Amino acid sequence: MHELSICESMLEIVEKTMEQHPDATLQRIFLDIGRGSTVESVLLSEAFEVITTGGPYEGVELVINDIPIAGRCRSCKREFTYEEFALGCPSCGSTDIEIHSGLELDIKHLEIDEG
Amino acid sequence: MSKVDIEKKILSKNDRVAIENRQKFSDAGLLVFNIISSPGSGKTTLLEATLDRLAGEMRILVIEGDVSTERDMDRVRAHGADGIQINTGGGCHLSAKMISDVLDRLDLEAADIVFIENVGNLICPSTYDLGEDIRMVLLSTAEGDDKPMKYPSIFHEAELAIITKIDLLPHLEFDVEKVATEISVLNSECEVLKLSALRGEGMEVWIEWIRKRLEMKRAARPAAGE
Repeated sequence: MHELSICESMLEIVEKTMEQHPDATLQRIFLDIGRGSTVESVLLSEAFEVITTGGPYEGVELVINDIPIAGRCRSCKREFTYEEFALGCPSCGSTDIEIHSGLELDIKHLEIDEG
Repeated sequence: MSKVDIEKKILSKNDRVAIENRQKFSDAGLLVFNIISSPGSGKTTLLEATLDRLAGEMRILVIEGDVSTERDMDRVRAHGADGIQINTGGGCHLSAKMISDVLDRLDLEAADIVFIENVGNLICPSTYDLGEDIRMVLLSTAEGDDKPMKYPSIFHEAELAIITKIDLLPHLEFDVEKVATEISVLNSECEVLKLSALRGEGMEVWIEWIRKRLEMKRAARPAAGE
């Protein structure tokens, strides 16, 4: 359960960004979270609620873009996506695969109301 | 409503501190391991057996991460290691900053190798770069052979996986080949070793692995004074 510390790191970035918009109100935070990132979106949202309650970001919406695991088979050259890590290429069954997305843990942008 | 672009990794600050740690370790010519596994898979026992075999050959520092107590540090000290215990007070992983905070209290120049024993947990530590050279994962035979696919990210990230407690294999249904195959699918570059730290089987291969990697690290380092 490291979602709380992930949340703290995210809020540090948000706070730094909001310092440049002192009169604005934060409305939404947009994240990319990969299925293979070890961070569980539901727990992250819960942690965010706990950590922001009673503070300036209470009620801010966390918008999580849930990214499936995508890769390419080195044998049959097909691209594929998985909901979770899986054993091998869904087309030819080869285990010689490479993963190129689904590990994201990124903060993309904020939506703010200029005061 | 307006949009403010950020486009940053959430853990960018941790990654930055990890790069600083890596530089400090490198400047001191150290080879650094980040050892990750679930509790009870034999991290500390492996360290004890490793310290015994490398005594007089390499100087070893250990950074112990645990929620509480100095028990692991006491154990490795009894086998000749210097080092420091970090208590996370509930935290389920070490972070680059926790390592950076204790570096000043360690004599890096006097050592060859640092083993960082992470908090026992197969999930959370895999996300945090500490500045290590080698991220390694331990899986004990007693935990079951279904773990790589159940906890894929650490096996995806690790450079070395060690199957521990192989002396228990006669008493368990644990398919070593299946585990090795699953790990290679998750990460074709991950090496897999198997050993019993308690009985000694497989230890020599691991010790050789360390010797080889330390040599490689030193060969890559510019000579002193350059």
